[in-house]
Amino acid sequence: MKEDLMEIICCPLDKHDLDLEVTERDDGEILSGQLTCTECSETFPIEDGIPNLLPPDMRDEAPA
Amino acid sequence: MGVLENKARARTFYKYLSKVYDQINPFIWDERMRDEAIAMLDLSPDDKVLDVGCGTGFATEGLLEQVDTVYGLDQSPHQLSKAFEKFGKFGDVRYHLGDAERLPFKDDSFDAVWSSGSIEYWPNPVDALAECRRLTKPGGKVLIVGPDYPNSTVFQKMADAIMLFYDEEEADRMFTEAGYEEFEHHIQQSRPGSPRAITTIAEVPE
Repeated sequence: MKEDLMEIICCPLDKHDLDLEVTERDDGEILSGQLTCTECSETFPIEDGIPNLLPPDMRDEAPA
Repeated sequence: MGVLENKARARTFYKYLSKVYDQINPFIWDERMRDEAIAMLDLSPDDKVLDVGCGTGFATEGLLEQVDTVYGLDQSPHQLSKAFEKFGKFGDVRYHLGDAERLPFKDDSFDAVWSSGSIEYWPNPVDALAECRRLTKPGGKVLIVGPDYPNSTVFQKMADAIMLFYDEEEADRMFTEAGYEEFEHHIQQSRPGSPRAITTIAEVPE
């Protein structure tokens, strides 16, 4: 994902802002990292460059 | 209540369906119908458009003919992986894994929201429609394509068993409950006798 996506994404549960923590970056794309809700502290992984913003109760599958 | 109106089941179903999806999808929804519906949005190249339930990217492909960037969201990594093959992972489509009923976008983020072939799997379609309204700018358009309730008994039985189908009256109820005031329905059909799509275009109230 590109960093400017932070302007429009939010926590799917309470719609508050997310904090971004980057683990791996390549050529303007964030490949892995973590998004954390500034309100409820729920975390959402960025895996293989794709933000996984599924609510935790739908995240029961291994990532593709 | 159809068996797919359970998200875990829908995900398992899609895991297998994604293998053949683009082959069977044009049965009720072909490029001509898609492009007719996209034209209703009257998009400009720099419009921000979200494709909810973008799946393998059939609609995304049509939307990309009108706008520079499409934001795609789906709950299935398997479906999305097919879209990566078509558009690349880091090209003109920005992908997100997410749930239509709990969308991970801020209010008024998009000029238009599109969703085709997804509403029939939403357990609570009114919640998802209200979410689409929330993240579309006032005056922006929300366009939803779903399966019209079939006339033939065989299709009716299949419809009742596996997914949510709805007629214009039911669509009126859902869109009104989701907070829309102005909307219209268009019945689209690939050819006489084939299952019809019900396409609703709604304007987000100021």
